[in-house]
Amino acid sequence: MKRGLSTLLALSISLSVQAATEDSSAEPDPWGDDSWGEQETGPAIHGFFEAAAGARLQNDPAMSEDKTLTEIRGHLEWEKALGSANYSLKGDLYADGVEDGLQLDLREATVQFTPVDWIDIQAGQQVSTWGTGDMLFLNDLFPKDWKSFFSGRDETYLKAPAASIKGSLYAQNVSLDLIWTPLFESDRYIDGERFSYFSQLSGQQMAAPGGVLNADEPNAFPEDGELAARLYGRQGSLEWALYGYRGFWKQPVGLDSNGHLIFPRLDVYGASVRAPLAGGIANTEFAWYDGKDSDGSDPLIPNDQVRWLAGYEHELVPRLTGAMQYYIEWMQDYDAFKQSYPSSYRPDEVRQVVTMRLTWKLMRDNLTLSWFNYWSPTDEDYYLRPSASYRVDDNWTLSAGANLFGGEQKHTFFSQFEEGSNLWFRVRYGF
Amino acid sequence: MITSSKRVLKAVSMLAVGVLWGAQAGAADLTDVQTIVDQANLAAYYQGDDGRSEVRMLIRDDQGREQLRQFTILRKDVADGGDQHFYVAFSRPADVRNTVFMVAKHVDRDDDRWLYLPDLDLVKRISAGDKRTSFVGSHFFYEDVSGRNPAEDAFELLETTAEQYHLKASPKDPQSVEFSRYELWIDKASMLPVRIDYFSNGDSPYRRVEALEVEEIQGFPTVVKSRVSDLKNGGETTMEFGFMKYDIGIPDDLFTERSLRTLPREWLRRPQ
Repeated sequence: MKRGLSTLLALSISLSVQAATEDSSAEPDPWGDDSWGEQETGPAIHGFFEAAAGARLQNDPAMSEDKTLTEIRGHLEWEKALGSANYSLKGDLYADGVEDGLQLDLREATVQFTPVDWIDIQAGQQVSTWGTGDMLFLNDLFPKDWKSFFSGRDETYLKAPAASIKGSLYAQNVSLDLIWTPLFESDRYIDGERFSYFSQLSGQQMAAPGGVLNADEPNAFPEDGELAARLYGRQGSLEWALYGYRGFWKQPVGLDSNGHLIFPRLDVYGASVRAPLAGGIANTEFAWYDGKDSDGSDPLIPNDQVRWLAGYEHELVPRLTGAMQYYIEWMQDYDAFKQSYPSSYRPDEVRQVVTMRLTWKLMRDNLTLSWFNYWSPTDEDYYLRPSASYRVDDNWTLSAGANLFGGEQKHTFFSQFEEGSNLWFRVRYGF
Repeated sequence: MITSSKRVLKAVSMLAVGVLWGAQAGAADLTDVQTIVDQANLAAYYQGDDGRSEVRMLIRDDQGREQLRQFTILRKDVADGGDQHFYVAFSRPADVRNTVFMVAKHVDRDDDRWLYLPDLDLVKRISAGDKRTSFVGSHFFYEDVSGRNPAEDAFELLETTAEQYHLKASPKDPQSVEFSRYELWIDKASMLPVRIDYFSNGDSPYRRVEALEVEEIQGFPTVVKSRVSDLKNGGETTMEFGFMKYDIGIPDDLFTERSLRTLPREWLRRPQ
């Protein structure tokens, strides 16, 4: 791991030196290249190097490690048009000082082509996103990386890639996206590595090594694949969409009869609209989570849920934008659930979450101050995400922030991560 | 003189083939301020039915530090002087590469704006917001790039010189903007605004937009280099347009979510 780290460092330094030399040699032209004269035709390599550090604000008795983020990361992107197809590769190599080791994260490896002019195909490792929520996901069941999100990595990393085939069909007023992921790709959920979690079985915080969640991922082909569909369009300024998903809960929220963690079956149906309203943007989204516990009496797997979201964003004063969302998860067949789930950790019938986002851009967008919070009046817990990001120039960016969790009870959704509350700092060189 | 007689000839020949060109330069001076403003608006923002251009900006702050922006812009008019579509795909700097910004500009209601963030595959809708804030970190405002709706100001013709119309504009809703007035100088031959000075109060402007170079492209006089200067705090942004082409036949359905998620390479490619 040490060796990987030094290689990465050496590479990063030699590249920045090279970049600096190039800049000075092209002295009269501030553009430093000839992209204005010659269109880029060959493969272009871009990316960044980043060093990041983060640490807990308090001890977590369940974990010996105080660091929540310690890494040096290189991200490279390459793309090439060949014939009528476009190839794209994006990958991260990082030396991770928390979950010790050199890690490779293939973010994208796709071929994209247009077989007929009303169809686009994109096949390979890719990140997919849809839905109208901001950091709340109803109909977007593509994999999320909660460890990255909680530890202060760039928000980009909240979305994890999956090996999928995406087909998009376009007609006059309506379009259809079909995304097939032949092998189920779970969330990168909180499993006891990096952050501890609350276990209802033991009644306490659990963490690595003993408490790491081990779940069997559905892996039979093709019946354990995931299929996601979106039918959408725009009428004037109003965007609408209908969604469907067939797959599994993205985290191991169920148990089999032997007490092993499983990803229970899940189908989701939903809809959303988004449109301008009174100088801002309003959105609402609905989803029906249809699991396999149709009468709600099975304590081992989650009941069906109705999820609903309403949001509104508006510029408060120039350069300062505010946004609020109200979100509910409403458990169905709650009476049956109460009978079968006598535990004191039993969740409420309706979980409500309110989020607020403030984004303030200063110094001609070079300084961005950002606030995002989740607050649940029903769980009586919260998750606050303040951050600041400063673009020193076109290459260097400094950012810092915090992930602060808390609440009244130790077992609720956000409250269980209270001992994971952390501060983080990142410095990035982009090229 | 040669230029203006050529222009007369051109105007005549266009009329001859049945194209209504309006009252063009070379004829008598315009005296109706609204006509001048409307023609300047068309000349600056509505040339051709559509167009493609590569744009680069050099941003220099008050301490001389420089930043660059480079993007390709596709535009299509719904109606001359009316609604327009813009599609902007960034190529540099690294942190915005392949980010796409799309605007459906409306003259009778708020614009629709979208941003596509490729690493998240996220189509973000942006609330209408203040149009007089920095465009991608430059000294240009959104409104300088897509055009300020002339209906928002009251105009007055101050002076007509041999080459220019000198106008004064006062905002109808002073609360909505940071200036109390602006003055613009419009070139009589091209009808392009070549200088705009913004005033908060008093007689010295705090902000200036200038056309530095104008070229005739496919018969349309076009600003190919312009500059915004912050006269109060220092700092300026120079914007250059290159590889411009008008009337390339961009289809309406280019300005949809499809083009946000999948770059329309055929239209972004530099024309041969």
